[in-house]
Amino acid sequence: MAGPAIEMAGVRHSYGRREVLRGIDLAIEPGEVFGFLGHNGAGKTTTVNILTTLLTPTQGHARVCGFDVVANRREVTRCIGYLPADVRLYPHLTAAENLEFFAKLSGVRNPRRAVAETLDYLGCADLAGLRVGSFSSGMRQQIGIAQAVLHRPQVLFLDEPTAGLDPLGVRQLRATVRRLNQELGMTVFMNTHLLSEVGRVCTTIGVLNQGSLIYKDSIEATTKRFPDEASLEDIYVRMEQQPE
Amino acid sequence: MITTVAVHQMRSLRRQRTFLALLGTFLVMTALAGVLGWSSQRTIVRVYEAAVSLLRDRGSQAPPNPFALKPTLSMLSNMAIYVPLIGALLALILGHVSLADDQATGVERLIFSRPVRRSAYFLGKVGAAAVVLALILVVSFVVSAVSLVLVNDAALTADDLLRLATFYGLSWLYLNVFALVGMVTVLLARRRSMALLAGIGVWLVLTFAVPQFTSGLAPVASLHPVTNPVSTSQPFFEFTARGRPYSVTEQYKRASAVVLETAPSESTASTVRRVLPIVGLLVLLFLVAGFLVRRHDASTGIADE
Repeated sequence: MAGPAIEMAGVRHSYGRREVLRGIDLAIEPGEVFGFLGHNGAGKTTTVNILTTLLTPTQGHARVCGFDVVANRREVTRCIGYLPADVRLYPHLTAAENLEFFAKLSGVRNPRRAVAETLDYLGCADLAGLRVGSFSSGMRQQIGIAQAVLHRPQVLFLDEPTAGLDPLGVRQLRATVRRLNQELGMTVFMNTHLLSEVGRVCTTIGVLNQGSLIYKDSIEATTKRFPDEASLEDIYVRMEQQPE
Repeated sequence: MITTVAVHQMRSLRRQRTFLALLGTFLVMTALAGVLGWSSQRTIVRVYEAAVSLLRDRGSQAPPNPFALKPTLSMLSNMAIYVPLIGALLALILGHVSLADDQATGVERLIFSRPVRRSAYFLGKVGAAAVVLALILVVSFVVSAVSLVLVNDAALTADDLLRLATFYGLSWLYLNVFALVGMVTVLLARRRSMALLAGIGVWLVLTFAVPQFTSGLAPVASLHPVTNPVSTSQPFFEFTARGRPYSVTEQYKRASAVVLETAPSESTASTVRRVLPIVGLLVLLFLVAGFLVRRHDASTGIADE
């Protein structure tokens, strides 16, 4: 992939009169794990919805894998994987049945094999024959990630992936994201509130405040830049309070 | 892609409890239609036999058995009522769950973040609903035919089978209208409960209110065989009577009665004319639903309450 994996230039979005994104400029290089931070209503999910082609930006341009999210929607959707917050899948179908459907929609040649391989890779092959409706949040999240990576996308979008998970689930998710990035080379774009996870998994962070991107840098550079702050949480709070 | 969506939808419906409960009710009612026909026939024949015996004792001549004059399919006359009542609700739920489940569970976002055209998604859903309804009606056709042969001891001719098939074909068209109503209401509402309520509202209007307005309002309409009730000369009733040809439920019932030979026969052209409003509404709803799917904001979904 030549050029950035994700690129946004002057992206604005409004719901009626309410402007939620106010001209976002952002570039994320291939292989990065990008943590997108911001308080509730800052516009993080809207940004992901635009990058996953679910929403058309009111203004500006966004490219994923080099393709424009509006003009080349199909090409973009072929190279991304997406796990929204609080996705429940089809509760009355088994994990394998759910995954086979999504594999077919993604144009995977041998869906059954892809499902088996992905579940095996993620270490949850034992869930294949069970109904998703009977799953705990952690198990559901594992299958959610499986559906997002079935077709081996270049870019993976995760929207609040740790929401509702217990500490063990969070740890498992962290390990999975790291493996997907390091072993399969996926670029990861992660919306999150859990700052402890950002420090452990992400290579770069961006902070969104009232629809504007107020900060973007690597984790390393960020901790150097704010030497007085004890943790990433302190840095984040400082950024939110003093956006300039 | 259309086939993938349709096959998945059909697979999913096999485990939908509400849908399965309604399907069971519909098939039981289909079987009951034959039993009820048999029951009423048996009662009338008993009365007839008692009357014949009485008349013979008095030395009078007995009239012919009234059931010998009735067409075989008339024993299924109740089906023309069950289809608008239970069948239409079943179709409505079918259309509702087709789209609402995807929206409420967040699956819609997963689908549209993949290389899936909205038109393919919509056609897959509509196709699945049409195939499922066709399968239900085929089963219903078999149950009806078997109940006529076994319970009522009636021999079915090729013409009877053709009429029965025509009735179920007509029912398929009619039920597809309600499946699309179920889909359109999901696409228009923000909450799932509102979508279902709106769909049931449309069903009530089409099944009860409109026929009542276009025919039932005429105060002397029940004075059969008065063909031109006095009241329709009043402007109000003239106005309501004009809506009669467009009342889909009324036209469905009337066309069904003609096909099942429970109403006086009419020309094929007249029966086809009765079907036209159903086809017209079906096409209109298809176009509206297709337009709404294209414009639908897949990032939000529907509140599952």
